[in-house]
Amino acid sequence: MSLFSELRRRNVLKVVLLYAVASLLIIWIVKHAVSGEVLPSWASEFVMLLLLIGFPVAVIFAWVYEITPQGLKKGLDVDQTQSIVYKTGQKLNAAVAVLGVLGLAAIVGERLLPEFELVRPEPVEEIPLRPVYDAAEGIGVPREITSYSMSNGLRIIVWPDYDIPNVVMYNFVRAGGRNGYPGITGLSHFFEHMMFNGASKLEPGEFDRIMEAAGGANNAYTSKDLTVYQDWFPRSALTTIFELEGDRLQNLDIDPDVVESERGVVYSERRQRVDNDNFGRLYEQMLATAFVAHPYQFPVIGWPSDIENWTQDDLESFYKTYYAPNNCTMVFAGAVSPEEIFQLADRYLRPIPAQAPPPPVRTVEPEQSGERRLLIETDARAPLLHIAFHAGSATDPDTQPMSLLLNILAGGTSSRLHRLLVEEEQIALAVGGMQMEGLDPGLVYFYLTLPPDADVDAVEARVLEELVRIGTFGVTTAELQKAQNTVLADSWRELATINGKASALGKFEVFTGSYENLFSMPEEISAITAAELRTVAAKVFQRKKMTVGVLRAPTGVEQ
Amino acid sequence: MSRRYLIGLAVLILWLAPVVYADDVSLPVHERVELANGAVLILSEKHDVPLIGLEAVVRGGAVTDPDGLNGLAGLLAGVMQKGAGSRDAAAFAEAIEVVGGELSASAGLEGINISADFMSRDGELMVELVTDLLRQPTLASDEVIKLRDRSINLITAAKGSNPGNLLPGYGNAFLFGDHPYGNPINGSETTLANVTHDDLLRYYDDHVGGDRLIISVVGDFNIEAMKTRLTRAFGDWRAAAVPLPTFIAAAKNIGRRVLLIDKPGATQTYFWIGNVGVAVDYPRRADLNLANTVFGGRFTSMLNTELRVKSGLTYGARSLLRRPSKPGAAVISSFTATSTTVEAIDMALAVLAKLRDSGIDDDMILSARNYIMGQFPPRLETASQIAAQFAWLERYGLGTAYIDEYGAELAAATRNSIAAVIDQVYPRAEDLTFVLIGDASLIREDVSQYGTVTEMSIDEPRFRP
Repeated sequence: MSLFSELRRRNVLKVVLLYAVASLLIIWIVKHAVSGEVLPSWASEFVMLLLLIGFPVAVIFAWVYEITPQGLKKGLDVDQTQSIVYKTGQKLNAAVAVLGVLGLAAIVGERLLPEFELVRPEPVEEIPLRPVYDAAEGIGVPREITSYSMSNGLRIIVWPDYDIPNVVMYNFVRAGGRNGYPGITGLSHFFEHMMFNGASKLEPGEFDRIMEAAGGANNAYTSKDLTVYQDWFPRSALTTIFELEGDRLQNLDIDPDVVESERGVVYSERRQRVDNDNFGRLYEQMLATAFVAHPYQFPVIGWPSDIENWTQDDLESFYKTYYAPNNCTMVFAGAVSPEEIFQLADRYLRPIPAQAPPPPVRTVEPEQSGERRLLIETDARAPLLHIAFHAGSATDPDTQPMSLLLNILAGGTSSRLHRLLVEEEQIALAVGGMQMEGLDPGLVYFYLTLPPDADVDAVEARVLEELVRIGTFGVTTAELQKAQNTVLADSWRELATINGKASALGKFEVFTGSYENLFSMPEEISAITAAELRTVAAKVFQRKKMTVGVLRAPTGVEQ
Repeated sequence: MSRRYLIGLAVLILWLAPVVYADDVSLPVHERVELANGAVLILSEKHDVPLIGLEAVVRGGAVTDPDGLNGLAGLLAGVMQKGAGSRDAAAFAEAIEVVGGELSASAGLEGINISADFMSRDGELMVELVTDLLRQPTLASDEVIKLRDRSINLITAAKGSNPGNLLPGYGNAFLFGDHPYGNPINGSETTLANVTHDDLLRYYDDHVGGDRLIISVVGDFNIEAMKTRLTRAFGDWRAAAVPLPTFIAAAKNIGRRVLLIDKPGATQTYFWIGNVGVAVDYPRRADLNLANTVFGGRFTSMLNTELRVKSGLTYGARSLLRRPSKPGAAVISSFTATSTTVEAIDMALAVLAKLRDSGIDDDMILSARNYIMGQFPPRLETASQIAAQFAWLERYGLGTAYIDEYGAELAAATRNSIAAVIDQVYPRAEDLTFVLIGDASLIREDVSQYGTVTEMSIDEPRFRP
């Protein structure tokens, strides 16, 4: 009797086959459990090890033992005439067949249903972000983003992302520097401060104490167009955030004592950002000079005399008008589902009544028809040179080409102006460029820090020469591609965090009319041509649309 | 039979399933490799977005600047980006920016840090650029002189605008005196002017090499391939010519003294008040972070509540703990209108006294713990953040337990354990160093009540009086 036939008689071979098929099936299931994060990643190796250890045990077991009607017996003790190894073998065959069919079905099913996964305890959707190089194809609007407009006009957008157990809330309030006028300049910014200073249910300071005790942090900023409130918090604080936000949107307490104390804080902020900061001083005067009619001329933080003198009535009417649900857009990104947000919003935000829409900003800046210049003399050690040109609003077709032009001119150490002025000719210490992408037409703005002994006029002439050059000769294909790649890569970096997601969605919603435009931006950027850049440069960089500001130490010539 | 298998497996799965939401923070799975020359690689895959973050640290930094040449490490970091390998300065910048990458090098107190953030498709280019920058920087003479002169001018410019940014430089120089922690990280107008091309070349040979290197890479790449690439790039790199210098801890200052930096015409006074605190390996860091969160580490902190929220004296007040390898500064910092200088400083001192006398109560401990834990996850959200965290932990030999056990340590802190830490770390009222920038003609007399006043003009080309 050969070893082989004995192996066969004792069903050892069938057990080996069954073991192999069952093992494959187990490994398949575990692999999917690991990839679905139901099991930790070491589980595959662990199960493999168990199966390997189990194999010789099963073989020896099959060799030594035999199944009989009386139960399990050692093969040597079994009367061979009574042996039912044959029947057991048939059962084993059946088991192999069943498991084989199961395995086959699983593999076929996997092919046919590519999205099949073991169900996770929480929805953990990942947004597949494709590399910038594929951006030309567009990425489409991620399906998981949901938006909703409540009956009181409040707009809510939710982008679920379970990467970290945190949530970000941005509330974009359409109240900014452009909503000011002489007497109340800076009021929108002052409200940014007052919104933390108590509501009907809360003492001054309670808002922050409750939020921080729940693990949250907050901040806010005011721009020429908007006041934006930001909360960063763990998921567990979600209800607290709605309680706090709902309360201050409806019941802000404008306590006269608190107003007086907060005037001091804002004044300190003004000293910090404007009066003791040369960039801030020059920037304030640049806008006051470039705009003669439109309220972009007013400093967002307010003129000192307005900070000192706005009245209780000014504050109350501003709050009622601008802090209305129909004037706000709330964006949530992070470990939340739209359903959760909408339920909470229904409870805490729906009861807030809508108000008459704020008065529109009617004034349109008349076209500038000649360059404007200003000089600030102060004890500056290094002169500053700012050069601005009137340009479009956020939705102007020239705005995206201009963002690429600014990148080519002043974005990074390989940009034209940095390379020429800072590295090669060494006539500037630093150069930067930006554009106001606002609700109304704004400025394209260059700012330079010069060495203490600089010839400011010569630097200005040099900058203008380069701006004329780009309007005349355009840009190279390599420059265009670099700018496109940089703008797009920056956009991916922004979308790598829940904070960036909330911020980007909200900005696109408020400035362009729909958050969905965020996702067509890559396509639009990739489609811009070098010819367009030259046209836009020639159109914007004109002396008659220019404002030039210099801040430097007194020269003594005047004395 | 197959059903029984599956049920058994399901039970096994349930038993093995990890807890999904833990009240804790932890670092991702990663691999640490030490090369034969001492360079350390830390690698971790993260595939949610197509980005790779790299953080390299060359141990050393501003504390290794030679005497009289403060700012040399910072200058080297700058010049290393001005051409490396086969690329000149313009080509090097172009190579980064053309693919939308980011790459920067700067000196810190105890290391030169190189941070890179590239699309995953450009991972190979990123490694090439970082390798060239570290191993084959051109260090051309004209680039050294150009950057040196520009750095000097930028310091001069900063003195004229928002001088609060320079306050920590003046503060550490006065508090630590000749100790390496008094070195201005990016130098002063005087020390930078002393630097020659030869100094920079010598410093590069002495203080940059494989034995000082830590490289941490996190993001969308394959660990094995990246490990091979980095090992090939840095495995045979020479060691720095001199061993990493060691120095002793600075002693706490005894008594009170004042440095007044005169900026005529300033409408506000910037102040920085403190003493020598603790080092990065301070064993009770959880207690200390809770204390500092409550004292001056968040918006509702004791300092900000008194100086801003209740009195409107300032836009912001906070407490800062600099914690390098040896004890660094523990300070209160804020600014206020010139006319309220004394009122604001007295108030800050009163808050410090209250912290030392009364400690913090249980409600505040719970609030601070929630705040720290609630704000922690976004700090480790991106590949770059995680890479920087790994590099920092390695730099200071802290191990991942420093993060992974943080939650448990915070939970274990009590009123008493925190009170003991406050007593150890925060300066006593009688031992304080005051550093002020403001209009001396208006505050000189008033601030003399805080101690012996040393005065200097902001135009003096140095940070030490």
